[in-house]
Amino acid sequence: MELAYYPGCSLHASSQLYDVQCKMVFSNLGIELKEIDDWNCCGATAAAKTDDFLAIALPARNLGIADATGLSEIMIPCSSCYSRTLVSQQRLSCDPELKNAINAELGQKVEGKIKVSNILEVLKTKVTSGELAAKAGRKLEGLKAACYYGCLLTRFPCDVPVSDDVENPQGMEIVCKSLGVETIDWSYKTDCCGASASVNDAEESQLLMSRIMKDAAARGANCYVATCPLCQFNLDAYQDEVGKKYGIEQRLPVYFITELIGLSMGFDPIAMQVDRHLTDAMGLLKELKLI
Amino acid sequence: MSTNTLKYDTSKAKSLLREVSERSGQNLSACYQCRRCAAGCPVGEETGVTPDRLVRTVLLGDRDEALNNLLVWQCVACYTCGTRCPNNIQTARITETLKQMSKEAHLDPLKPRIADFHSSFMKAAGHYGRFNEIEGMGIYETKTAINELKKGGLKAVFDEMKAQAKLGMTMTKKKRMHFKIDKVKNVAEVKALYRRAKQGKGE
Repeated sequence: MELAYYPGCSLHASSQLYDVQCKMVFSNLGIELKEIDDWNCCGATAAAKTDDFLAIALPARNLGIADATGLSEIMIPCSSCYSRTLVSQQRLSCDPELKNAINAELGQKVEGKIKVSNILEVLKTKVTSGELAAKAGRKLEGLKAACYYGCLLTRFPCDVPVSDDVENPQGMEIVCKSLGVETIDWSYKTDCCGASASVNDAEESQLLMSRIMKDAAARGANCYVATCPLCQFNLDAYQDEVGKKYGIEQRLPVYFITELIGLSMGFDPIAMQVDRHLTDAMGLLKELKLI
Repeated sequence: MSTNTLKYDTSKAKSLLREVSERSGQNLSACYQCRRCAAGCPVGEETGVTPDRLVRTVLLGDRDEALNNLLVWQCVACYTCGTRCPNNIQTARITETLKQMSKEAHLDPLKPRIADFHSSFMKAAGHYGRFNEIEGMGIYETKTAINELKKGGLKAVFDEMKAQAKLGMTMTKKKRMHFKIDKVKNVAEVKALYRRAKQGKGE
């Protein structure tokens, strides 16, 4: 099976480990990720905040390229890229004038036919079909995960089909449970980490992260699981600083969902670059004798 | 008479409401002030402005306040307000619109770093077609430093450099820093979209 694949800028930079893991895990599931050719930045939140045209047009160029592959589905692991691409596709489907204006600039025109999927949508189908359990057989006992979804997997600035429950999504829990990972119930799974505010409005983003960290700690989680590279990066990079500022003792590893699947599949953690976390992610796995 | 008495000028109110509604694509008149958005807004407490208040400000035609408040700048675009709104009003689209209107009116941003970040991001993304963290952060830090120095904020510049150097070193040690520049081959096509965006704004 082949899926079109859009890694986005962060999976080619600070979150390259997520790109590496996606390729390893999906390949083992019999899915070949075909990175679309010559993709560009989706514009992320910056485009939405500064330029209504580019916010739709930048992901549209990628949609045109993706449509031209002839594949039926594109998987986008980054929540922000996924959200912007889905929103662009929806907007163009109901605004033919804008679609024509954008297509006039593009070599590969947007048709709007490819299905835009996030990583959990694809993984959930592999849980249901039993293919994930067949490949990821090792039970990861001892992990108590706070599944952290953040904002953009389930909340959108316009009406699009939402792939999970808006207030209490379960996709990550479904995947985790099939790996033998215990998941906790908690209140901050869809709260905002501040996203780029960690760079430009640190006070605000650290307050938001402190609320997330306090709840995860109070509920007895021993790790986070994330699918969004920016959620992962923020909790990974700033957890220590926020913890010191707000008097939170616990420092929990922030795993990508692909790291847990990979471990269960028996992949080497170093090959998956689990040692590249900014908040230690190897110690807990050793302690639990998972590596 | 209290100075807080609201002045309501129908013609002013209508023109602001029409402009914000059309540009954001949101029906602000549908707001009945139930404040579900306020209950979920993660930054409302700190900014002192919740989405319902912002909608009311626009409805009352208070252009100065609508273009100049902390929510417009510090909204994190989490989309909680719009997701919970019983009338399907996406306030985050309204803050995005007001931020653009504020820039067009040449107002000084209340949070210059946030404005600098987003413009730096777009500049970097348009340069090579992909956002290179090294380049984007370089543009942003330079802009921020110049702005701070203009205000005489030498300490702020020093603190920022120290914090970024510390993060940069940790990232380098953990191989999370990437120095290779990622480029779109057909960057001319991306630049054409940027040009079209400028033309649309009459720039």
